[in-house]
Amino acid sequence: MTALATFQERVAHLPRETRDTLFLLAVIAWTIAPHALQLAPWCGLMALALLLWRAKLALGGGALPGRWTITALLVLAAALTWWGERTLLGKEAGITMLVVLMSLKTLELRARRDALVVFFLGFFLLLTHFLYSQSLLTGLWLLAAVWGLLTALALAHMPVGRPPLARAGAVAARAALLGVPLMAVLFLLFPRIGPLWGLPNDAAGRTGLSGSLRLGGVASIAEDDSIVMRVRFAGRVPTADQMYFRGPVLSTFDGREWTRLVPSFPARLRPRLELELRGEPLRYEVTLEPSRLPLLPLLEITPDRDDAAPRLDGWLLTLRPDAQWQVDRPVSERIRVEAAAWLDHRHAPRDPVPGLVDLLRLPAGFNPRTLEWAQALRRQPGLAQAGPHELAAALMRHIASGGYTYTLEPGTYGRDAIDEFWLDRKFGFCEHFATAFVVVMRALNVPARVVTGYQGTDLTPQDGWWIVRQRYAHAWAEYWVPGEGWVRIDPTAAVAPDRIRLSSSLRPAPGFVEGALEGLNPAFAADLKRLWETVNNRWNQWVLNYSRGQQFDLLRTLGITSPSWQDLATVLITLLCGAALAGAGWAWWDRRRQDPWQRLQRRVQQRLAALGVEVAPHDAPRRRAERVRAVLGARGEALATALETLDRQRYAQGRRLPHTGWWRQFSALARAVPGR
Amino acid sequence: MAAAATQPARRHGAAGFSPRARFRQWWQARLPLTDTWQLGQRNIYILPTRAGLTFALTLLVMLLASINYQLNLGYALTFLLAGAALVSMHLTHGNLRGLTLHLRPPAPGFAGEPALLEVVITNPGRERHGLALRFEDRAAHGETVVWSDAPALGQGVTHVSLVPPGRGWHAVPPLVVETVFPFGLFRAWTVWRPASRVLAWPRPEAAPPPLPAGAARAGDERAARRSAGSELDGVRPWRRGDTMRQVVWKKVARSGELVSRETTGSSTRELWLDWQDAAAGDAESRLSRLAAWVLQADREGLTAGLRLPGRELPPAQGDAHRRAALDLLATW
Repeated sequence: MTALATFQERVAHLPRETRDTLFLLAVIAWTIAPHALQLAPWCGLMALALLLWRAKLALGGGALPGRWTITALLVLAAALTWWGERTLLGKEAGITMLVVLMSLKTLELRARRDALVVFFLGFFLLLTHFLYSQSLLTGLWLLAAVWGLLTALALAHMPVGRPPLARAGAVAARAALLGVPLMAVLFLLFPRIGPLWGLPNDAAGRTGLSGSLRLGGVASIAEDDSIVMRVRFAGRVPTADQMYFRGPVLSTFDGREWTRLVPSFPARLRPRLELELRGEPLRYEVTLEPSRLPLLPLLEITPDRDDAAPRLDGWLLTLRPDAQWQVDRPVSERIRVEAAAWLDHRHAPRDPVPGLVDLLRLPAGFNPRTLEWAQALRRQPGLAQAGPHELAAALMRHIASGGYTYTLEPGTYGRDAIDEFWLDRKFGFCEHFATAFVVVMRALNVPARVVTGYQGTDLTPQDGWWIVRQRYAHAWAEYWVPGEGWVRIDPTAAVAPDRIRLSSSLRPAPGFVEGALEGLNPAFAADLKRLWETVNNRWNQWVLNYSRGQQFDLLRTLGITSPSWQDLATVLITLLCGAALAGAGWAWWDRRRQDPWQRLQRRVQQRLAALGVEVAPHDAPRRRAERVRAVLGARGEALATALETLDRQRYAQGRRLPHTGWWRQFSALARAVPGR
Repeated sequence: MAAAATQPARRHGAAGFSPRARFRQWWQARLPLTDTWQLGQRNIYILPTRAGLTFALTLLVMLLASINYQLNLGYALTFLLAGAALVSMHLTHGNLRGLTLHLRPPAPGFAGEPALLEVVITNPGRERHGLALRFEDRAAHGETVVWSDAPALGQGVTHVSLVPPGRGWHAVPPLVVETVFPFGLFRAWTVWRPASRVLAWPRPEAAPPPLPAGAARAGDERAARRSAGSELDGVRPWRRGDTMRQVVWKKVARSGELVSRETTGSSTRELWLDWQDAAAGDAESRLSRLAAWVLQADREGLTAGLRLPGRELPPAQGDAHRRAALDLLATW
């Protein structure tokens, strides 16, 4: 307590210049802090060191470093960036340089212009945070940063005396809050147009289905709760283990990476899509969030039939030969389609075609021990003549009993990733199991491929919608059986059946706070968590996923039947013009408005004149009271007293504007003056 | 660059011919001359500053980044800042709106020495910050800017100094009150032409020759005799009312008694400061010398009159007389 008091005492006695500089440094540190988690450690440390150095200079009153020192530091930072990123232009490199520039600029804070550069860099730096995270917490953190920057900006424009920080903070908050209506209108109505010059590579594919798969470099996958799509079923709701949403099918393996089929046969020799649908169709509706991928993960199997295929105006939807739906451009807005799927189905060629050879290929020189292991399996009694089904079952048994562990943090694997996983380490997530399974099947001379997509939904629907999240991203396998076609098999089910049955993907170990909370009171923790999830969900729904679809919905509620982005622009411009006109009207009214005090003075003067007391417009109420006494005598005593009260109020220490109540009272008294 | 190029021209008085200066003259001629200037919609101008334009550019870049990376929070941040900037425009304008500026009658001063102009800012509303007061023509009157705040429902007093170049009456040049509060993105300003004029006395000569010999006042023989041999001034014991300057400190140090110089001034000598005596080049130099003499005579407590061609001020003493003499010199 005393330490805090001493600290406050010290802050209260800092010279203004020092206090302002320290405040700005604190705001900059707050702004940069979230980046320290994303960027190279040297960058965060350098920024911290620079800010501390500047703070020391501010407190000790030393001279700022010269131009050469700053240039040298900048060159050093550029060299370090180049060393780490191999470029100075990419996203990471750009942000790294921005952070360094921002902290270096504080060492140059001489003129007002320097300060402004810091502010504008700061605002831009805030934006770059959203490339990493747009969560509610990030939003709140950065809102505080905006407030801090605006406060510092206001402080820089209060040159007189030593204005309290709270005053500058109030000014900044007032400006920001008054600006909120404009922000809301712009946010709701500013037309959401697609990427302007093609999406930068580094923005896409961080999560979700990228169309390729690589085991080596991925040490862990992040838990991403963001929503991929919402599904509503017209009739029966399938169980979780029936809900496979088909994404890119990966058939070609070069030893490191799985990609889509690179066919080596002409089209007529390739496997074609032949669908055999059984049972009743399952009608459903999908709302897909912007994925920035040119594909539509639909329920297996959604056929290309007039009564079942998805339709979307303005988009070209096609079913690929590997039974995956794709669209003609990346989905950058929320889209909504209706379709029908047959859960019970057979697909692809029943009879062998030459093109199936592509699905047996394995890269030479990779994973030799797994191939040996497959041959050994083949030599086992009972499997020598086994068909694909028996072999698959044997592999599933092996996965279930072979000591494999399903984990989100399997660590990194080297060159022969399948060997390492299948025979040595045995830690993996769905991708490891699916790819290893396919490699072994191919080694056993069974055509097989990896399918990526989403599996399962949240356990309970929201408003009838079943929610598919990024963390339900999944990889499974298909192998080909003569006479039957492609058969789906999910190797992950053998080791983690709950993942498939209940969609219960693994959760990272609870953090310290979470653990402590749960230890304290599980029920309370669960409540808190639910509340948090609800709030977060709303955030995702209303803020992050707000896109053109919602904008058009909004226009429809406004009564525009077939909205287009031109309508959005029209509504936006109309609103802005309306606001400008209202502003002009207010200005016109305000010009005619009198100062409340002068109006009151005038009204008092008129009322006194009616009683025969002439006073000058500029007379103070005290003076008027004297006049009233002189002219009216005892009859005007009450009026004079009221005027004296007004005088005291007006010139009192607090300087509060006299209340309108005073006028009412005075008016009544004036009417009651006897003998007019 | 253009501004820099025109500056020397303006300083040399050729400004009246450049289109910019001409526009300014025409614009200012429209403004009334008044000592009380109430700020409202009609006389406050507002434009974005250079920083404001840079900020707009920053916002544009942020908007492009948000569009390209499809960042909804980026949109929100950009629009939040845009909203705050737009509100700041109104706050900047509101920071001046409603204020009343009043110039107190300026006190006269010597030419070439700064004369303080006192401006009272009356604020009928909430607290105002960062009000800058300066002369409109920076080239002629310097870059000095005086910052002040105006308390809520109160008055603030600011001083700005004007250096009159020569003697005589000078109109107070147009003043500018401006503000960039709160964020420096917009600059609101008003141009005010005060009606008051400043009287500048001639600059006193730095090292004037000694005062001319005074003429004896009629009927005072003793004084006449003394004044003839002015170095024969005697000493007498100190009396109440003698100034410090009259004390003969050397004698005090020697004898330990307080003694005063028996002055020849006071009421005993009558001095005429005459245009004819101040033989020093042109008229202005003569006036300078006369001004110096007026001050010296006043310092020494002499009764002095002033005689200029066509004007005369009878001999007298005291502050009022000195003022009158200097005023006469200023306006002659």
